[in-house]
Formats: sequence, C-alpha cells, structure tokens
Amino acid sequence: MLEILRMPRRLTGSLLNHKKVVPLVFLAPFLIVFLIFKVYPVILAVIMSFQDFQGIKSQDWVGLANYENVFELARFGQALTNTTVYTVGTLLVLVPLPLILAVLLDSGRVVASTVFRVLIFLPALTSLVVAGTVFRLILAKDGFLNLFLEGALGMDRLRWLEVSELALPSLILIATWRWTGMNILYFNSGLVNIPQELYESAAIDGASPWQMFLRITLPMLRPTTFFVVVLSIIGGYQVFVEPFILYAGGAGPGDGGLTLALLIYRTAFTSFNFGTAAAMGVVLALIIFVFSLIQFRFFGVLGGED
Amino acid sequence: MSKFRIISLALVIAVALGSFGMALAQEATELTLWVFVDRHGLYMQSQAERWNEAHPDRAINLTYEQIDYTQMHDNLLAALLVGMGAPDLADVEISKFATFTKGDEMFYPLNDVIDPYRADIIETRLAPYTANGNNYGIDYHLGAFIMYYNTALLNEVGVDVNSLKTWDDYIAAGLEVTRDTDGDGEIDVHMMSVETTGPFSARGPMLMLGGGAYNANGEVILESEANIEALQFLQDLVHMHGIARPATGGHHHTPEHFIDLVEGRIASFYMPQWYMTRYPDNMASQLADVAVIRPMPVWEEGGYTSTMGGGTGTVITKQIDPDKVALAAEFLAFAKLTYEANVALWTDLGFDPMRLDVYDDDALLIAMDDFSGEVPFVHIKEAIASVAPEYTGAFYPEITTIMTTTMLYDLIENQMSPEEVLSNAAEELRAMGADF
Repeated sequence: MLEILRMPRRLTGSLLNHKKVVPLVFLAPFLIVFLIFKVYPVILAVIMSFQDFQGIKSQDWVGLANYENVFELARFGQALTNTTVYTVGTLLVLVPLPLILAVLLDSGRVVASTVFRVLIFLPALTSLVVAGTVFRLILAKDGFLNLFLEGALGMDRLRWLEVSELALPSLILIATWRWTGMNILYFNSGLVNIPQELYESAAIDGASPWQMFLRITLPMLRPTTFFVVVLSIIGGYQVFVEPFILYAGGAGPGDGGLTLALLIYRTAFTSFNFGTAAAMGVVLALIIFVFSLIQFRFFGVLGGED
Repeated sequence: MSKFRIISLALVIAVALGSFGMALAQEATELTLWVFVDRHGLYMQSQAERWNEAHPDRAINLTYEQIDYTQMHDNLLAALLVGMGAPDLADVEISKFATFTKGDEMFYPLNDVIDPYRADIIETRLAPYTANGNNYGIDYHLGAFIMYYNTALLNEVGVDVNSLKTWDDYIAAGLEVTRDTDGDGEIDVHMMSVETTGPFSARGPMLMLGGGAYNANGEVILESEANIEALQFLQDLVHMHGIARPATGGHHHTPEHFIDLVEGRIASFYMPQWYMTRYPDNMASQLADVAVIRPMPVWEEGGYTSTMGGGTGTVITKQIDPDKVALAAEFLAFAKLTYEANVALWTDLGFDPMRLDVYDDDALLIAMDDFSGEVPFVHIKEAIASVAPEYTGAFYPEITTIMTTTMLYDLIENQMSPEEVLSNAAEELRAMGADF
C-alpha cells in the first residue's frame, strides 16, 4: 500500500490497473460488507458482554458479572445440554447418511440419479417458514409420521409436538430433511476427486466393493468428512430457525427444544438484557471454537498427518 | 409601471401567499403507526377519518404498516435502541410491554389525555401499560374471559348450556360429556381443553381467584395461595375429574386444536373474548350452528365473573416529532376511549369495549351467525359484572415465558404439585434478577 502512496502523481491515472490495487478493488465490496456487518458486531458483542446493557441507558462496565449471570441461569445449562444433544444427533445422522447416499448415487447403479440429487437437495432451498408449518402437520398426532409408524411398524402414536422428550428428535428429523442433500453435494465433490485408477488397480487385485469403500473411498474422503463434520458442529451449535419456526417463536413444550441461540434471543429481546445475551454469545463462540480445534487435531489438519 | 399596477400586483401576491399559507395550515399532519394485526390498522384509519370530520382544522393522515408479531416488536426495540427508525405510534402487545420499560423512557405518557375518561372505563385495563405511575398505552379491548361451548356435544348427553352456573355444575356435566363414543377404550370427547404452552387456561383462574403475576403494589405474587388454588383447580380438571385434556399442540391457537374443535372432540374451553374472531378466521365458521358463548362458571357466589386476558396497547414513541405529540395523544384517546369509538370497537372489530356505558347501547346487540344466531353481547355484558384486574410489572414477559415453557407443562404433563412449579418459577425469576 505504501508503495502506491509514494508513486508519482502521473501514475495515479493508471492506479486502477496496478497489480496490487486491482485485487483490492475487486475484494472491496465483500471486505466492506464483511467488516461492517460481521467484524464490527462481533467486536461490539464482546464489549457489550462486559457492560450492564439493559434497555436504553448509558452502559456501565460490570466486569465479569454478565458471565456469572449466565452460569447462574438454570436455562443456560438446559440449553447447553439440548444444543449438545442436538449437535451430536445431527452428526450421527448427517455424516453417515449423506456419505452412503453419495456413494450410492455415484456408483452408477442408481437410475435417474440426477433427479434424486435434485430432489434431495431441494429442502435446502425451501422456505423454512413453509417447512415449519408442513412439519407441524407431519408431526401432529394424526399426522403423516405417526400414521406411517403405526402402519409400517405397528407403533403407538407419539405426541411429537407435545412432550418435551420428543422435541430434539423432531428437530433432528427436520435437520436431516434439510441438510442431507447439501452434505451429499459435499461428499459427491469429494468422490469425484478420487482417482479412478485406484479402484481399477484394487479391482485387479481382487478387492471387494466393501473393501474398496473401506480402504480407498473413506480415507480419500477424509478432508471432505472433516469439512462436513466441522460445518455440522458449527451449524448444530448455532441452531435457531428450526425450533423458532416449529414452535412459533417458543422452544417447545417444557422448553425441550430450547437451544443456546434461542436463549440468547430470548435474553436479548424478551428480557432486553443485551449484556447477558452478549456474554452467552461469547461463551457459545468459545464452545464452537474449542470443538473446531479438537476437530482440527483429530483429523490431523494441524501439524500434518502422522 | 403605474402605482395602480404595483398595488394590484402586490395584492395578487399577498392573496396567493395567504392562500398558500392557509393550505399549509390545513395540510393534514402525517402520523405513522406499526401494528401486527391488520384489523388494528384498519380500525385506527377509520378512527382517523372520524377525527378529521370532527376536527377539520387539525386533520391527520394516518398510515400504518403491518409487520409480523415477533418481527414488529424486535424492530421497534432495535429502532428505539439506536435512536432512529421508529414510527410515531405503535402497537405493543401486553406481554412485550415491560421489555420497553427498562432503561430510559421510550414512550410518551398519556395520563393527561386519558384523565377525562377515567370514570367511564374499567380503569384497571390501563394497568398493563403503566409504569412508574405513567399510562403509556391504551388497549383495543377489555379481553374478558368467557366460555366457548359446542352445544351439540352437550345436548347429546342432555346437558343444557344455560344450567352451568358454578364449577360444580360444570364438572358434573363434564363427567357426562367426556366419553368414549366409538367403544375403542379411548376417550373421544373431552369437556375441556387446557393450554400447557399458552398462558390463558392458567391465567384466568389465577386472576379470578385473586392471584396472578403481580399485585396492585407491583410486587411479584407468584407463590400466593390464590395461585396455588388456581393451579390445583386446573390440574384436578385434567387428572382428578378427568374431564379436561391438554389442547392438541399445546395451546388454543394451533391448527391441530382448531381441527379438534371442528371435529367435535372438545365441548368447551375458556379464552378471552377476542377468541370469538377465530371462529370465522381460523375455523371457516364451521361451528356456526353449535358454537355459543356464556359467562364463565363461578367458584362461589359473589366472586369474580371474569378477568382480562391478553391485550395490545397503542403507544406514542419518543421518536415522534415533538410538535406532533399533543395531536397524536389526543387522537389516541379519541380513537380508543370516546363513546363512539367504543361502539365501533364492537361493531367494526368485534372486540369487547373497556368503556362501561356503551354496554347499554342497543347498537351492540347484534345477532351473529357464527354463534348460533344468538346475540353474544348479552352474555358478554353478563360476564363483565365483576372483572378481576390484571397487574403487570418489569418481569411480566419473563413470567409469561416461564409459564408457557415449563410451569404449566410440569403441572399438567408431569403432574408436579402447584407449590413446586410455582416455587421453581419464583426461583428462576430471582436468578434473573427479580427482587421479591
């Protein structure tokens, strides 16, 4: 940058063509939006978390008082547990299921696989408001899910929307519907990058399809799997819209679907206590950060592979 | 140019300027309003027309914007917080109001414009929008609790809806009405549905028995004897008498509950008067031949016959042009508290007015197709004979949240004792900083 400033005047006319300026010009729209709408709020939230910020008045510094508040609230523990269970639940479903489906779709044994791909991906594009309403009908006592379980498995009808124990399974069900297609897309791009020669030579050596999946596909998909797992953890801990829509702004019976993001929203906009809400946000960010670090180590992204 | 010409030109200019000035003076004052219920906006506009007829020299031009409930309140908070973007007038729902009372004053007090009307209205209706002695909002309605019955389900077992005067009558009838109609061992018709994730089934008895969230002194009275009695009553309806069950979906506004009503699975329930609008709006008038309203049964002679439920107060935000405040406040009182306005609240909006003298006006005695062709106002008038007040305070939104998430769920679904759920709620409130 300094070089540019030191340039003689006559050169400024061609400034826009300068090697170091052009990338900045192209990046500027993104950078400006990113700084104003992402970086600035994050900094502000951290500052707010150390202030008594209730309603409209001058803000006083209160040190760690907001953080102490957070851990005194019984609902915070409940929300943290719920969110963790939800995240683990989505991981258990949203990594293996899309992986298997992606391999199947890629295997060439599925008729009209493009149609399937589009169909499975569609939920990611659907309006969640509409989806919330449809899922209320599906999960209702006389709804499709109960009729299916009753007819196919002879199960008793469950009160999906009315008992707190079934709130998280309902939310995981919606997450599965919504994100399976997206994750298939990620795995699919990973699969395309695996050299075909590996499978060919394995076939010559007499490897079974199962062995090829275990020894070639899975290891070669490691970077993709890492990416999907990290995204799922971040998405899982930030879950907000699904319960917000399904329970019309609430968190379900007995707060069974109360997530951290919902609690933050409730603290900020019902109690108008932005200080404590910001502190919760910082805690949530730290949790996601720590989990992501663990992931990085686990998948060997940091410090190379051993 | 001759003298004459100059004078005529000056005259012409003077006349032109004068009429321009008069046009300016008569220009209507622009006022903006945010609502989350469209019919509120339409009502206020019709009242603005009435105002303009009565005060042509101080005309207003009211434009409103309807925004989704949650979004509107969040936007309003954000706008007031950053100091720009708020409308002149806004609707604030009862359980959201206290959120706006934290920190510096966000609305203009309306005490002066309300004063001339205090003797005519049920004044405690102002309490939910009052803080530090200032009335900040005026409601659209009284929101009296009434019973909603399906007479077909009562008649099938020979119960006359007019015979249900006390809760003892009601429970005895309920034991007849609640039954397995197809012999599969499961109860198909219940006498009553109760909300477990909505506040009204609990709030009605709590207030009518003398409890509630706050008392008149602004103290939290969650753990009061009256509240324990009310919650015990509710729990007994479900578990001891077995005549009530949780509303499908948890509260009385889920599509599943509307289906239950239309399918004839629920014989009755109590909700505030404004729930009458749900019969045409959400159930396509499918119960028109069997639905009736009646006053709630009473616990004992001389007790409260009803209480207030829900509500929305219209406020004037601090971001209004200071020159417009007086006009806006006068208009607000005109639109909500005058005799004509209170008649219109029933005839235009279908809401029970909070002004008592209009209850004798024949204009309100309208037969309604949606309620078996009866004249519902007769029963509303009977219901409001003695209305228990509702007081609110700083933690009212949090109390509502606790009630509708864990408290009633634990009471009805987990069968925890009223004492336990109330003390849990109190403890949680204290952890949030409530001092009581």
